[in-house]
Amino acid sequence: MTHLEEELKSLKNEVSIMFALVLTQLEKAYKSLLEFDKDLAHEVLITENRVNAHELKIDHDCENILALFSPVAVDLRYLLAVLKMNSNLERTGDIAEGIARFLVESETAFSKELLENSEITKMFEISIKMMEKIEDAFNNEDTSAARTIFKQDVLLDKINLKANKVIAEHIIKHPEDIDQALYILSFIRKLERVGDQSKNIAEELIFYIEAKVLKHSNKKKVKA
Amino acid sequence: MESTVLKAIDFNAYFGKNQVLKNVNIDIYKNKITAIMGPSGCGKTTFIRCINRMHELTPGATVEGKMLIDDEDIYKMYPILLRRKIGMVFQRPNPFPSMSIYENVVAGYTLNGIKISKAEKDEIVQDSLQRSALWNEVKDSLHKKGTFLSGGQQQRLCIARAIAMKPEIILFDEATSALDPISTASIEELLFNLKANYTIIIVTHNMQQAARVSDQTAFFYLGSLIEYDQTNTMFTNPKHQQTQNYITGRFG
Amino acid sequence: MERQIQFRKVKDFFFKGLIILFAAVSVVPLVLILFYIFKQGIAAINWDFFTQLPKPVGEDGGGIANAIWGSAMIILTACIVSIPFGVSIGVYLSENGNRRLAYYTRLVVDALQGIPSIVIGIVIYVWVVTPMGGFSALSGSVALAIMMIPIISRTTEETLKLIPYSLKEASLALGVPYYKTMLKVIIPSGLSGILSGIILSVARITGETAPLLFTAFGNPFFNFNMMKPMHSMPLLIFNYATSPYDDWHRLAWGAAFVLMTFVLLLNIITKIASRKWKVQF
Repeated sequence: MTHLEEELKSLKNEVSIMFALVLTQLEKAYKSLLEFDKDLAHEVLITENRVNAHELKIDHDCENILALFSPVAVDLRYLLAVLKMNSNLERTGDIAEGIARFLVESETAFSKELLENSEITKMFEISIKMMEKIEDAFNNEDTSAARTIFKQDVLLDKINLKANKVIAEHIIKHPEDIDQALYILSFIRKLERVGDQSKNIAEELIFYIEAKVLKHSNKKKVKA
Repeated sequence: MESTVLKAIDFNAYFGKNQVLKNVNIDIYKNKITAIMGPSGCGKTTFIRCINRMHELTPGATVEGKMLIDDEDIYKMYPILLRRKIGMVFQRPNPFPSMSIYENVVAGYTLNGIKISKAEKDEIVQDSLQRSALWNEVKDSLHKKGTFLSGGQQQRLCIARAIAMKPEIILFDEATSALDPISTASIEELLFNLKANYTIIIVTHNMQQAARVSDQTAFFYLGSLIEYDQTNTMFTNPKHQQTQNYITGRFG
Repeated sequence: MERQIQFRKVKDFFFKGLIILFAAVSVVPLVLILFYIFKQGIAAINWDFFTQLPKPVGEDGGGIANAIWGSAMIILTACIVSIPFGVSIGVYLSENGNRRLAYYTRLVVDALQGIPSIVIGIVIYVWVVTPMGGFSALSGSVALAIMMIPIISRTTEETLKLIPYSLKEASLALGVPYYKTMLKVIIPSGLSGILSGIILSVARITGETAPLLFTAFGNPFFNFNMMKPMHSMPLLIFNYATSPYDDWHRLAWGAAFVLMTFVLLLNIITKIASRKWKVQF
């Protein structure tokens, strides 16, 4: 293996670690929401430092590889994609941290009825599955797996659209839950953004493997 | 902690009255690849030739200051003994045309009258050619003359010849400038594998090569050492404006 | 425009034709000479020719055996004398071309090449024959060696100059001392050029008569002692061609033929050898 290939392989490992870190953050945030586990939420807050440090490391490694090796073609696309994926993952980590922070500050557990009606659990599950899917797609360089993300994102959008109405209804029925309800609304928005981040990562992956730019395009028109 | 194998202290070099190196102070670290780069005429080739005292072969060439290898002053050593500790590979591949490949590799011993047994010679030839990634290509034609080899292969033969002397330091004076890109790439890979056992100093006018290959980089300009640092720092955030101008192609 | 191009083509053709014509014209007399010598000389060639001594005046038959041996010994000795000096001068000039001494050396060597061979013969008569008290093959060899040295030195210098400097550097960088670098790397690399220079100089002096007139002098009998006069082919041709005897004329033509063949062979060997041993850089 050439020197450059070794560096690229090592970079891939770093990105896999980043994926794993961020997924764990999301899973912990979900579990602490379901079980109202403040300690778990606290773990998420502390781990956020690691996520940030890792983002900086990946940025630094990319900068070095670009400066020292002047890569071209697929290697160059790979580095550009990794830089963007890195920042997508970091933002996903931020979102998980944001949810955990609310949980730590909240006084009471969330009402089961609220959790069910808003379908937030479903959203969490879908967004975590999307992230897992794209993690696999990245590790296996599988663009068809990446493309399945786009459909799942549609589901998240649907739940997000319904959210205003559902939350408003719940507040009218249970005015004492207004604080919780507003938190849940904000979580729904955040999770919708997690879906977007996964979608962006999928676009970057397809860009670097197929050199096709899918950003800003109508996904329905683009066939796999 | 890096250990220093070569040290230049207030080192100056002249061709007659013309000063070519000005007060160079540099520490070269063991088992690292150090690249010396700079525009034409900056003194990089002169510097490297001072290390193995080839500089003095030019009439009128003089030096001032100290150059230490393993804390020994090279100007107090016999040049001939010094040159056996330091191998050199040149820009033009130059295997000895009147000798076979086998004889070329052990030329450092036979020409110097150093007696070694045939078995030792065989071992040195095989070992050196393996380390230069040339063994598989020539093991069946060791007794043919080296001139039928391609440019890249000839250069690897020259590297094997230098390695056979078991030097501490190997100097590469623009060793890939005369080769095509694929041969150049294979020699760069070779350098990467060699540094485990030797300290390597390369002079190159190709800064991408310096970036790809080296651990430390020194930037020379008009005879002075402008900057000397780890390669990744040099190429992402050099400390001197001149270095940055050179690297980004603003001049030179 | 068309007419201009046509005119140019005609001029080209004319020019080429002229060059070929001149080349042919210069080659024709040479070929004729070779042919004539062959025709005249072949009649004399037989076994006796190579093994017998020349018969006394008036008797027919005989050969030129002593002249052949004599030539061989004189040339061999001339080589032994001239090669070390010639090659050393060539090496010195190629290495130190810029020094004052080199300048004067080159001047002297070039001048030497221009001195008429008879003058060299006379000088050697004064310097070697007179002190020795008599003619000798050795003095003949010395005279011939003096003629060979400029050629050998010139070709050695030119050959060594063609060897890339990087070869010397490679050897020096291995820690090989200067004198060994020259002896074991540079000179072996230039061997083909140096050898062709030597062979060419032999071809040059093989037929020289004038220097031998006052030095080797000639000898009607076999002589293997370098200190005494010795016969050689050019001397024989000179003596017999100017004599009034037909039989001696026949022997002279035969000797001329042998000489010509020998020189031709040397030239051909030089061409083949230098191509075969030519070292590519």
